[in-house]
Order: sequence, then C-alpha cells, then structure tokens
Amino acid sequence: MPFKTDAYIRRAERDDLDTVVAWMEEPDFHYFLYGDPAQSPRQVRERIVLMLGRGVGHTMPGGVYLLIDSPSMGPIGLVSLQNISWRNRSCSLDLYIGMKHLRSRTVTAIAIYRALEYCFDELNLHRVGAYIYAFNTASWRIFEFAGAKRELSMAKHVLRDGELHDVYGYGLLREEFDEVRRAKPRAAGFSLQEMIKTLAGNEAESSG
Amino acid sequence: MIVSEHTLIRTADPDDADFLLEVYRAERPKAALLDGRREPVLPSRDELAEMLASKDAGRNQFFAVEDTAGRVCGFCGLRGVSIEAVFCEVMVLLIDPADHAGPIGRETVQFLLDRAFGRMHLEKVLGTCLDSEPELRALLADSGFVSGGIQRQVLYSGGAWHDIETMARLRPAPGQGG
Repeated sequence: MPFKTDAYIRRAERDDLDTVVAWMEEPDFHYFLYGDPAQSPRQVRERIVLMLGRGVGHTMPGGVYLLIDSPSMGPIGLVSLQNISWRNRSCSLDLYIGMKHLRSRTVTAIAIYRALEYCFDELNLHRVGAYIYAFNTASWRIFEFAGAKRELSMAKHVLRDGELHDVYGYGLLREEFDEVRRAKPRAAGFSLQEMIKTLAGNEAESSG
Repeated sequence: MIVSEHTLIRTADPDDADFLLEVYRAERPKAALLDGRREPVLPSRDELAEMLASKDAGRNQFFAVEDTAGRVCGFCGLRGVSIEAVFCEVMVLLIDPADHAGPIGRETVQFLLDRAFGRMHLEKVLGTCLDSEPELRALLADSGFVSGGIQRQVLYSGGAWHDIETMARLRPAPGQGG
C-alpha cells in the first residue's frame, strides 16, 4: 500500500515563531535535543530568530581566488573561480596575467590547465564555464584546446573603447576534460610538458 | 498600470507575495528564478513581501500580470540592465504554463519589449529558459527572440542535469514594428 501524506517542507515564517518558541521551552526538547532551561524566553526567541533566518548553508565558499606564482618570477597572475555552486558542482573561471611580459599563450595555457585540474580533481566540480570576449582570441583558443565547447555567442555584448564586442560563453564538462587528458597522450605523446613545448614552439615560429 | 485586451500589468506590491510564492513553488525549475550561481532559491513569503516592498523592486521593474478577472496570473520584469552595452534581461513568470501560448503570454512579452526598446531605449533584450520551460522558449521564439546558444548541464534538479538557453532580440529597425 503506498504511503501518502499531504505534508511538505517549507521555510519558517515569522508567524511560526510562537510555536517554535513553545516547543523549545518544553522539557522534552531540552531532554531529547539541546537547550538550557535557565535561558530567558527573550534569549530563546532571539536565538530562534537567528536560526530561522539562516538560508540553506553557505558554509562552502562561493568564490576562490588563486594566485599564479613562480619561484623564479614571483606572483604572475590571478585565477578566480566565481559563482561556485556546490549544488550544481560548477563555477565560472576568470584568469588574469598581471606580469604583462608573460602574457604569452604558454603561461596562459599552463595557468588555465592547472586551474582546470584544480576545479575537477580537487574541488570535484562537474562543469567549468568562462565568458571570453571574442577579441581575446588567444584565451578562447586555449580554452578550446583544453576541450571546452563554445556554447553561447552573444553579439555586441560588451563595450570596450567605444565599441560593442561579441562575447563567447564556453563550457567544459569534467568528462570532456578527462577525455582530453586520456586521448592526447595516446594520440601524440601528449602531456602538460609536451603541451607547453608545443605552444612555445608555435610562438617561436609565429614570432620568427 | 497598463491595460491591454487580456491583461492588466502593474508594478508588483507586497500583497502579491502569496502569488509570487506560488511561482517559486512550481514543480519545474525556472531560469528566471535561479540565482547568480544558477541555483534555485527558496524564499519565504515574508522575504518576498519585503522584497516587493523595497525600493529596489521599483528600480528593478518587477510587475504583476493580472487577467481580465483581476486574478494575478504571473509576474514579469526587466533586470540586469547594462547601461554600457544597452541591453537587459526579460523575466516572464506565468503561473499556468498554458498561458505562455495564449494572449496573456504575448501581451506580457510585448509590454516588456515596449518598455525595453521604447521607454528605456535599449538595443538588445535577452531571455533565458531552461530545457524544462518549453512553453517559455516557444513564446520567446514567437516574439522574435533568436537563440544565442545552450549552456549544458548548468543546473542539477529533480535528479537530472538541465541545460539553459539564452535568446536575444535586437531593437527593431526604425519603421519596423516591435
């Protein structure tokens, strides 16, 4: 026989306060749960208001800022993981290379790759997204190199130097990043070090 | 308030909190009700009433949609206005999904487009919908919105991943209807 009920769960309202206070003043409440019978009703009330006012847990950080550092060169840039959702296991990624002379594709590639490893292997995320301006070709190419898909294209979406530019939305799922890590070493002896060498070679060719 | 043939649209006020709570309690998730992390939020009636009473509600342009019988059948609004890039996002929150396909849905979107293009002089309007909102997607498509793409697996709800689609409509050229 199926078990049926019309009960449901909801957030408490202010109208519920008297009921909850009465429950918490009951000896059984102190016995089976917690509380101090010596507490004044006012203290109990204030405590309950605080408890009921809390939303669903925000104990996990909503954003993580990571510094890209180098023993030889010092701090290079900043990786920011924003809008981390522990429910959806997702975040958006921003990266800034502060040392302008290091704004090469190699440094950016390494930083993005490491940030993605951190997202998937340490934070156990499922999806990493990034919004990249269309004119920032190097960045979105590297993101694509890591397996990300261009999911969104928003025309004339950001104003820079008096002109509206397109913005791309990229998304990388954990399985796609894993696939890149699995497939590329088999395909071309690929590793992070190989990727760095390849990109450095490409840069040398294009600058030469 | 704006009176059309099938709707009356007016700024939402604290007395509408119960109806807005009904929208939040809908069985299927709605893109317009997700927060910045694309998570559903569960506000209480008191919080909604406070939100509707705040000055921000007026600034954010949040409206109640009534049918001809005076029943609140949904809400709509404009948010995320970018002064720089002259665009904003539309929110269409109709309680009965079937209303999206009828005159209530059409008049609601037309009201928002008139505000965005005619009153605020914006150049572009965006709309988002989850794959669980096919009625809203159809309404936006019928209203001239074009898909900008689908972001995959952004929301986990009801034991499954959901995609979110972003649609855009540009300002009509001079002389063309809205």
